[in-house]
Amino acid sequence: MKNTKSVSPQVCEIIHIPEKPSFLPHLQPTVNVLASVIEPKDANTLVRKLNQIAPLENLQHVKRVRKKCIDGGKPQLSLLLCMTVGNDDGEDDCMPCEILELVKSYQLTTFITRVCKYAATSKEEWDEQCKLWPTSYHPPTYNISGITGFSEEESQSVFGFMRHTITLATSSVGQVVNAAVIVDPSTKQVIASACDQVISSASLANEVSKEGSCSNYIENLKASNLENQQTSLLDGSIGELKHITNNVACLHPWQWALRSSGCWHPLRHAAIVAIEYSAAGDLQLFPDYKARSPLKKQKIEESGFQSNGHSYQSLRPYLCTGYDIYLAWEPCAMCAMALVHQRVRRIFFSSPNSSAGALGSVHRLQGERSLNHHYAVFRVVLPEEVVRNKVVDGKTSGSG
Amino acid sequence: MASYAKETFEFMKLALEQANDALANLEVPVGCVFVEDGEVIASGRNRTTETRNATRHAEMEAIDFLVQQWQKNGLSPLEVSERFSKCILYVTCEPCIMCAAALSYLGIKEAYYGCANDKFGGCGSVLSLHTSSSNLPTSYKHNSELASSKKGFKCTGGIMASEAVSLLRSFYEQGNPNAPKPHRPLKQQV
Repeated sequence: MKNTKSVSPQVCEIIHIPEKPSFLPHLQPTVNVLASVIEPKDANTLVRKLNQIAPLENLQHVKRVRKKCIDGGKPQLSLLLCMTVGNDDGEDDCMPCEILELVKSYQLTTFITRVCKYAATSKEEWDEQCKLWPTSYHPPTYNISGITGFSEEESQSVFGFMRHTITLATSSVGQVVNAAVIVDPSTKQVIASACDQVISSASLANEVSKEGSCSNYIENLKASNLENQQTSLLDGSIGELKHITNNVACLHPWQWALRSSGCWHPLRHAAIVAIEYSAAGDLQLFPDYKARSPLKKQKIEESGFQSNGHSYQSLRPYLCTGYDIYLAWEPCAMCAMALVHQRVRRIFFSSPNSSAGALGSVHRLQGERSLNHHYAVFRVVLPEEVVRNKVVDGKTSGSG
Repeated sequence: MASYAKETFEFMKLALEQANDALANLEVPVGCVFVEDGEVIASGRNRTTETRNATRHAEMEAIDFLVQQWQKNGLSPLEVSERFSKCILYVTCEPCIMCAAALSYLGIKEAYYGCANDKFGGCGSVLSLHTSSSNLPTSYKHNSELASSKKGFKCTGGIMASEAVSLLRSFYEQGNPNAPKPHRPLKQQV
């Protein structure tokens, strides 16, 4: 699930963060089960009985019978009786009584073996699983292109926006915060951008970008040809990366009360603020759009709409549908769910958040099937990150 | 039902009033009140359509009011944290994952909700963000550690749930004016 693009001479990477935790094929989690070699003539009867008295509820992908060819090409059948209960010592008294009866009446000799706990998500996983005990495999039905397939041009655009985001996160003097940049990938326009506004100095620094983010900022970015500028922007910030990360809101969401007083708000994390700016920008660009009647058609034609000499998309988007968001750090549960609510299409973050991250580290919202919207999640690895990881590893223990 | 204090229902009725106000303004009808020492100190209702910001849930509206208020009165972050730790939330629908996380960050004392939120609920339905995973004994903690530790809050559901559900039902029967296009044809009330 990797899509690696090399940019001379250093390597950038866009790594898809899947809906389920991924394991190396040979390191998949297993559970112990009780099995027995059986006579082929008993197989049908035993499988039918077992499906009634001990169905494999959480192991639907595991096959009941294993067929092995032993010496002389003679097939040997093994039957999975049940999952082991309690300690895995295989003692008879661990067996449910119905199984015990079956074992006695068919004179079975039981043994403990391992099966894979989760269904395989790839052919490679499946091949490994079957070495332990046969399982079934259903390849994913969703269209994988568009999730992992980044063209060279799109990759460069992603790296450019991520560099810009990291520059924002490190641009206030004396601290590192989280930064969020909402982008319309179809036009490569920045819709809104913001930094954490949890502590006072961050709030002050943000006043600048707040003022710019809704209107001027977009113009500035367009005028300055963002993608060609990234390298020079970043040169200045690498030195500043050696700041502590205690102020990154999504990393320490419970620690706001320890901050200095002044202008602050415990919940104004970068993503929340960026969503607010993008909503405010929508109101500003399309002030006449009102949901007066529930029957009114939602998509209104705004062709020829002009603002400051730039024409905008002809259709007003619903919330952030179709937009991407770039974050310096993996968002916490509050921010990740806010991005579900606002219907963001893709999330790109640079550094994982092991203390509170909700896109794979602690929770994995992209895998919660009950939610009404799902975004695709990617980690973007930039060569400069080596520097940052050192900073993060060394400094997170210090307290504010 | 009878095991709850009478005031629990009184406060939930106020939250339902907020939800009703949301419905009257074509917003998803969810409302809440924050109670400190037996007094309502803030109320809020959904404002997602008006703001075009889908994160403007009732809880967020009330929280922003409180933070602003307390900040205006010159309270320090630590003092604000102390105030939140005395707050009880009454909300007509189980807080979503976003709001449940926010309430945990703030460290409120307790929450009562009406109907469960099977799709987005962060207080047991989808995730359980109200439960604390910090097992340090209280005596072990210093003041500053208390203020920074992961806090859980007590959460009780099912308070006047049918009232909350019927409000939501009447909203979705009239059609969500903010939805991009109907997923199914709008139904007339049966």
